[in-house]
Amino acid sequence: MNKVIISAKKVERIYSNGIVRTYALKDVSVDIQQGEFVAIMGPSGSGKSTLLHQLGLLDNPTNGSILIDGEDVVQLSDDTRTRFRLEKLGYVFQSYNLIPELTALENVYITPMARGMPEEEYTAKAKEMLTKVGLGDRMDHYPSELSGGQQQRVSIARALVNKPKILFADEPTANLDSDSSADTIRLFRQLNKEIGQTIVMVTHEENEGKQADRIIWIKDGIIDKAKK
Amino acid sequence: MNKNDLKVISFLAYKNISKSKATFFVIVAVMAMSFLSITFFAAIIDGLGYEFEEGMIRGLTGHLMIEPSADSRYLENADSMVGKIKKIPEVVGVSKRVEASAVATHKTIQLGVPIFFVNPDDERQVSRFSESVVLGDYLSRKDNAELIIGTDLVEAYTREDDAKKSLDVTVGDTIQLSFSNGMVKEYKIKGIFKTGSQFSDNNILINYDDYEDIFHESDVASAILVALPSRGREEEFTRKIIDLGVTDQINPWQSKMGKVKQFIGSLQITNTITGVVGLFTAFATIYIIIFINVTNKRKQIGILKAVGIKKEIILGSYVLQSLIYGVAGVVIGIIAMQGLIALLTVYPLSMPIGNVVPILTTNRLVTTAITLILASIVAWFFPSKKAANDNILEAIFGG
Repeated sequence: MNKVIISAKKVERIYSNGIVRTYALKDVSVDIQQGEFVAIMGPSGSGKSTLLHQLGLLDNPTNGSILIDGEDVVQLSDDTRTRFRLEKLGYVFQSYNLIPELTALENVYITPMARGMPEEEYTAKAKEMLTKVGLGDRMDHYPSELSGGQQQRVSIARALVNKPKILFADEPTANLDSDSSADTIRLFRQLNKEIGQTIVMVTHEENEGKQADRIIWIKDGIIDKAKK
Repeated sequence: MNKNDLKVISFLAYKNISKSKATFFVIVAVMAMSFLSITFFAAIIDGLGYEFEEGMIRGLTGHLMIEPSADSRYLENADSMVGKIKKIPEVVGVSKRVEASAVATHKTIQLGVPIFFVNPDDERQVSRFSESVVLGDYLSRKDNAELIIGTDLVEAYTREDDAKKSLDVTVGDTIQLSFSNGMVKEYKIKGIFKTGSQFSDNNILINYDDYEDIFHESDVASAILVALPSRGREEEFTRKIIDLGVTDQINPWQSKMGKVKQFIGSLQITNTITGVVGLFTAFATIYIIIFINVTNKRKQIGILKAVGIKKEIILGSYVLQSLIYGVAGVVIGIIAMQGLIALLTVYPLSMPIGNVVPILTTNRLVTTAITLILASIVAWFFPSKKAANDNILEAIFGG
């Protein structure tokens, strides 16, 4: 766990609405090691999701630099960022964000398909990943035919199928019951332990945060405290 | 864009359409209905114009009308000319006519009437009179002192509000005709015809042989009408007739249209205006429906972009969908339109000018089809491009 995979320096995110400027993040610097399981926590509106979106290339910081795997991702063009997300990052969203027109299997294999992987290979990988998250018997079901917990597991399988360098999870248990929430966090912990998956997760739940290697606390857009 | 991108584009487009069948059918139905609404009205107007022209061609002018030169009253050696023209390959029919007028008297009514002296057999190939007899029979070559009369001259067939004088006659009745040379002759009504064309239905047809008896002139004609296999070949056959040594005026039907031409021109202008308005309306309708549909897909576009699907693939899948929607709508519209035309060919619309069959011109079909497909592509492309260019978080979470 020595290599720094994410290095964010003096990151600022300012939202402008006319002359009103709102600082969602102020001067945030953070390093995350490869293979680390990090939880970002803080009160509502503190900027924790905003930080995750900057680190995960879903948004552009107003100021500051972010290096991922040694690459300055802030300077990348829109197309290169898209390619970067496809090849190196995985996402799990609070509301699953599956494509409703695709089955569980198709939702998982759409990204390796887009990477140009042969059909047999991406189908096998997607099946393997769905089996790993416990949905081997639900592959041909559409999201509307799955429970919230099952949809979130499809979302996790989709995030992991390309073996991303980093898995970003934005409040992945917020819409789940307690059993499904525990399953999801247990799965993250297991992935982190078994394959050394780097995970950056935003959560409200302190007991979930405690499962991580480290918690980054955010308050009013600045890092409040950090503890291991 | 590579081969794999095309594969992903096709996959996403297929899944989107196959999982949203209701949306697909609604949009395709709207497009098909738009196609129908634009083309059907226009086709009726075109059919109306065509029928007007056909009424002139098959009643008064033929496709070609040979007339005496300005300094002559009649065409001379008419029979010889008819015989020669008949021998030109593909000529459908040739008929000589002498136009005259007379005063018709029945009971107390007297009426000035136009008369065509014709060869009944030749006339069958050139005009509609033989197939338009609604009561009684058509003339035959042997008929003497018999005539057929158009419905516009017969009281039983004229509208109550029509102030024009007409004769209270029917088949079998006798009317007296007084000709310009003073000759008076009684004729029995053998048949009553109704072509539907106002240019024909106010005439009386009498056997040509009677003309010779009444006016003591033979082998002359006011005009020789030539029927061709189709419109548009008038120049070609004019040249062939000139090659026969004919030096008289050979006029194509278009030059004889007069006010009909102005009327049809007005119809066409109306048709163009309503066609353009119809296209804009259809464009706007399709755009709004598809715009709402694509706007609802904004989140999906954001998710695809977030997980690393290229913008070109996302846009490509929507353009492909738009093409499928557009082509499906237009194809169904064309099939429905052809079905309607087939139906109305068997059961034409009965209008005062005659039976009207809608005509869908290739030009109108292609213009409408292209416009609707373009409307579909534009309606899909711009909102999906906007969504694909949107900030990912705004697309997914709104804002």
